[in-house]
Amino acid sequence: MMALKSSPLTLRLLAFVLLLGVIAAVFQSFAPAYLSENNLHALLRHMSVNGLTAIGLTFVIVVRHFDLSFPGVASLGAMTLGWLLANDYSLAESVAGGIGIGLLAGLINGSVISYLRLPDIVTTIATGGVAVGLSYFYSNGTSLSENFFMSGILDLNDSKFLSLDMPVVILLGAAIVAFIVLHCTRFGRAFYATGENRRSALFSGIRVKAYVLTAFGLCGALACLAITLLVASSGAANVTAGNQLMMPAFAAVYLGAALFGAPSIPATLAGTLLMSAMLNGFTLLAIPYYYSDAIVSTVLILAIGIFDPKLTTLVGGLFSRKPAR
Amino acid sequence: MTDFPMTTTDSASARWTADLKSFFLRYGLFLLLVLVILAFAWLRPSFGSAGNINDMLRSASIAALMFVGLTWIIAAGEIDVSFMSVAALANMVVAALVASGHGWALACLAGLAVGVIFGLVNGLLVAIFRLPALVITIATGGLAGSVAAAIGLGTSISLPSTGFVGALLHVNFGVVPLLTVIVALLYAGAWFVQERLTFGHYLYALEQNRAAVVEAGVPVNRLLLMLYILSGVVSSIAGILLTADLSSGQPYIGSSYFIDGLTSVLLGGMALKFGKPNVIGTLTAVLLLAALLSGAALLGWTDAQRQIVRGALLLCGVAVVVWARRKTRAHI
Repeated sequence: MMALKSSPLTLRLLAFVLLLGVIAAVFQSFAPAYLSENNLHALLRHMSVNGLTAIGLTFVIVVRHFDLSFPGVASLGAMTLGWLLANDYSLAESVAGGIGIGLLAGLINGSVISYLRLPDIVTTIATGGVAVGLSYFYSNGTSLSENFFMSGILDLNDSKFLSLDMPVVILLGAAIVAFIVLHCTRFGRAFYATGENRRSALFSGIRVKAYVLTAFGLCGALACLAITLLVASSGAANVTAGNQLMMPAFAAVYLGAALFGAPSIPATLAGTLLMSAMLNGFTLLAIPYYYSDAIVSTVLILAIGIFDPKLTTLVGGLFSRKPAR
Repeated sequence: MTDFPMTTTDSASARWTADLKSFFLRYGLFLLLVLVILAFAWLRPSFGSAGNINDMLRSASIAALMFVGLTWIIAAGEIDVSFMSVAALANMVVAALVASGHGWALACLAGLAVGVIFGLVNGLLVAIFRLPALVITIATGGLAGSVAAAIGLGTSISLPSTGFVGALLHVNFGVVPLLTVIVALLYAGAWFVQERLTFGHYLYALEQNRAAVVEAGVPVNRLLLMLYILSGVVSSIAGILLTADLSSGQPYIGSSYFIDGLTSVLLGGMALKFGKPNVIGTLTAVLLLAALLSGAALLGWTDAQRQIVRGALLLCGVAVVVWARRKTRAHI
């Protein structure tokens, strides 16, 4: 990654703006409603859900781990939220319950992975599976939507704050907090240290196990916050709610990391914006939902492939002019 | 002279307990399989009926076929989470071709081609270009899954008849399906390759120290490429068999095989090799899972409860592997 990291920031920002411009131009030409105010609002609301999940995933990827459980945990959080709302708990209690479940699941993941030293990939697959199974217990798998209108959860999606949609405000708030924590504090730098060289970090006095635990906890909690917004916008909680969170989150983090050289909160936000711009455009063009996974997957492969230093040196070697022997 | 730590009888009994522990670790999975079958046969007599055993063996054979490639990939230290989506895609491709009248032979060839293509893509990106295996196979799996869904326009494709594949599936030798015999022979061959050929040694060496294997002159990239192609091919064959088994194309069939595959490979690793994935272990674990899930269904457990059992089993499998290999792990 050394060659690309040394590219000045302006070049990378330029590349990002260029990509965004290309996407906007392409979709605008196919669907004139793309740049309309309504659609931009919808795009930003879609981005909020994916952005929150991606921010949580960023913490895990910064410590060089993987979390495949957040779709299942998000479904569990959604059903918990729905059940609490349907049983007349207040809005604050229900949202806290949903996010709390996410935090709990994340902490379980983190402690098993970091203190019991189980491998992260398979462990999170397992906990995700268990979470999905548990989410069926609330209502036998049917969707929950009683009391939603009365409780005010829909306001989380519909209300505005300083003329910005509430989901966008929540995303911005979370992003700012995450940015300050991860990039402006020693606490946050320790995450990067843990990821880059765990042994050195340990010997420098960083409690690496606690940091990994925190990263997974944050990922679970933020995924449930994201699903709360999704439930607010769709008006119902169902067990498959979390499935659509997984691919865009990975794509956003890796796309951002590819563009800006390393995973970081601004990079993730940039990646999320690009992904949401693309997905929103495809929805506008009435392309069916099952194609969106294909598109996200292709973007993910391209993002990893194009910006992998081994590949760039390989391709660069093909095009450089070597002196004849 | 008077304070030897152990007398001869003490050291003999200590050795005996160590041997016994090692015996149970090595063969415990087989014992567990027998115990589970006996327990369920006692709890629900219909568990042991010829029809149920036949069904279990058939679905276990299809699953075992899907997991052969995965076993070796995980044994080599990589991962492949696209296998179930490739099976689903092969499933849908076959169903779509048969439904549009192209005949089973052509459809099967197309399904196989799907497996080869995805195996090649995975192998190219992971083995040749050395991109991170997990994220790449998540992406290729997602790609395969959405193409599968796209073929059926989001729903399943049902087939009027199951052709020669279906006929093959339903040939039985008494209670044992022909498919089980074929898969057993395949696994016997795989066991031979894994144990008696240097290929198997390179496989396990790769997981321990890839750099050393490269320095030793072994063509590691080609080996991994072959492994990914194998995984793609067997997944697609399993998908083709599933089309005939279900007489329909189901785009989301892969999801239940995902956790089961990882569980079988990891739990199976305990058998015979103290935590290293191997084919006999996978086969035993597949049978164990089939017996457990079939028994749980007969006991009236819901899908959600069985899903939790699957996840819990996977956690057990992982924990068991980590515990078995604790002495060779780094300790930070």
